Amino acid sequence: MRDLFTGNFGIDPLTGQSILSEIRFYLPNTLELVLFSFVILVIVGIVLGYFAGMHFSTFGDSIARVIYLVSWSTPMYLAAIVAILAFATYIPVFPSGGMYSLSISPPQPVTGIFLIDALIELNMPAFLSGLQHLILPALALAFVNFGLISRAVRSSILNVRWSTHVKTARAKGLTESEVRRKHILRNALIDATSLSAVIFGWVLTSTLVVEELFAWPGLGQFAYQAIFSNDYPVLIPIVVVFTLGVIVANFVADVAYSLLDPRIGIGGHNGAVT
Amino acid sequence: MAQSLKFRQLVLSNRLSSLGLVIVIVSVCLASAFAIFGGRITPYSPYALNLQDSNLPPSFAHLFGTDFQGRDVFSRVIAALPIDLGLPIAIVLFSSVMGIFLGMAAGYLGGVVDEIIMRITDLFLAFPTIIMVLAVAATLGAGLVNAMLAFVFVWWPPYVRLVRGGVLEVVAEDYIAISKALNSSFSHIIFKGILPNILPSVMTYATLDIGTALLEVSILGFLGIGIPPNTPELGVMVGSISYGLYTYPWQALFPAFVTMLLVVGFSFLGEGAREASDVKVRPYILFKGRAFRKATEITEQQLTNR
Repeated sequence: MRDLFTGNFGIDPLTGQSILSEIRFYLPNTLELVLFSFVILVIVGIVLGYFAGMHFSTFGDSIARVIYLVSWSTPMYLAAIVAILAFATYIPVFPSGGMYSLSISPPQPVTGIFLIDALIELNMPAFLSGLQHLILPALALAFVNFGLISRAVRSSILNVRWSTHVKTARAKGLTESEVRRKHILRNALIDATSLSAVIFGWVLTSTLVVEELFAWPGLGQFAYQAIFSNDYPVLIPIVVVFTLGVIVANFVADVAYSLLDPRIGIGGHNGAVT
Repeated sequence: MAQSLKFRQLVLSNRLSSLGLVIVIVSVCLASAFAIFGGRITPYSPYALNLQDSNLPPSFAHLFGTDFQGRDVFSRVIAALPIDLGLPIAIVLFSSVMGIFLGMAAGYLGGVVDEIIMRITDLFLAFPTIIMVLAVAATLGAGLVNAMLAFVFVWWPPYVRLVRGGVLEVVAEDYIAISKALNSSFSHIIFKGILPNILPSVMTYATLDIGTALLEVSILGFLGIGIPPNTPELGVMVGSISYGLYTYPWQALFPAFVTMLLVVGFSFLGEGAREASDVKVRPYILFKGRAFRKATEITEQQLTNR
């Protein structure tokens, strides 16, 4: 048990390296991919959900709903395969796999996250190459996972749009854009925040498929290899790391929640109402 | 009776859920037809090897082409339906039964029972689903029953939470208090008072959840863990081709698109049903939005004009 908290996970029986050092190598790559696609999916999800909610029961709403339901029903491997076939094979604009081209010199690992290291060294070719390799897997991840956010934003907008406090805000004489920004969108964002922790967990676990298909040297691929070769000493620490990721995401969401929602205070004594 | 009629109306009044219903019914019919008649309803045998016809592109003879062992992909997709529908439905069924039992116990009995059940549920909720499923499935070894067990093992916690929340809401209602005052039996309160009120929300959630379970089952197959290789399963069919992807894309694309179509069916149906059972949005759907929108637009306009 002490070893678990000090990070001493033991030795990988397959490679003979310490598991902690392996995780430290793979984790930043996964974080780079996950965070990048998470930002994309949150923005796209909120914009689409807001659009659908504000155009409720019109043609635009139906289209937006179909888009997010279909995206949410897409298997991860389908999104990745279509992305590879469309943008790496038939229209070769992006590379189909890996983290950077072999022709460039990778930056010294400082944070371990490739793009940030390249920026620190001001190594523009490496940065651009890294970005180019990042876009396809990140978009595939974002496409599959943004649906739930859109749905939550849409339904919370529907809940709040005709409620009395929005009517009051209008009656007070606020302009329409102020009402939308401060009273409707803000309420929707609260729901989206609490959900985004769940989504983060999904994105984290979706890397299992994406990293395998895009040959991205991350934790997902590492986990896949560990499961496939029945390498339990490696698998257990990986499950711990993934679970920790989900818990940290939940914590961040809770903090963001209390910042967005004035009714919820941290500690419960600073004027918290409910 | 009247309740169910209304619900049916609500589902059918919604184009989205009607479309979902059609997809679900067609696929379930195909699946049960294959389960009953086997290879007789597919154009080719989904299992027999035919190496001289391997890797044929899609044509009228082979609608979805053939795979690397010469088996017709279309036939294999149909053969995959019973597994790809049966497994998620079984998972969701077992999980919801478990959720109803544990959730009702936690919500109705309260106290120590509630505390114990909910802390265990929280513990299970903290684990990332698919990773846990993979780990359990890898431990149990390949096999459809094992895969299902691995799924049920991690799939039930949301149901417990859903049911417990519903029970807490219902128990606070006056009619339960009156029922208790009238000295109704325990089972009467549980089965007549509480269960009918929480079942609709469980069912709408379960419908959506079948789609999610289907996705995860096919991902399990795609990764080649838990589900035996060479099983006609959509994910296995996609995963077995990842090296020939550039030369024979149809072998992966068609099963993958069929997976998406199935999940879309359940999502549309579940989403429509969810919105139909949502009290706040129900009036808009019943009037197809128009009457209500008109009413609200008028007030909004009046307020903005002033």
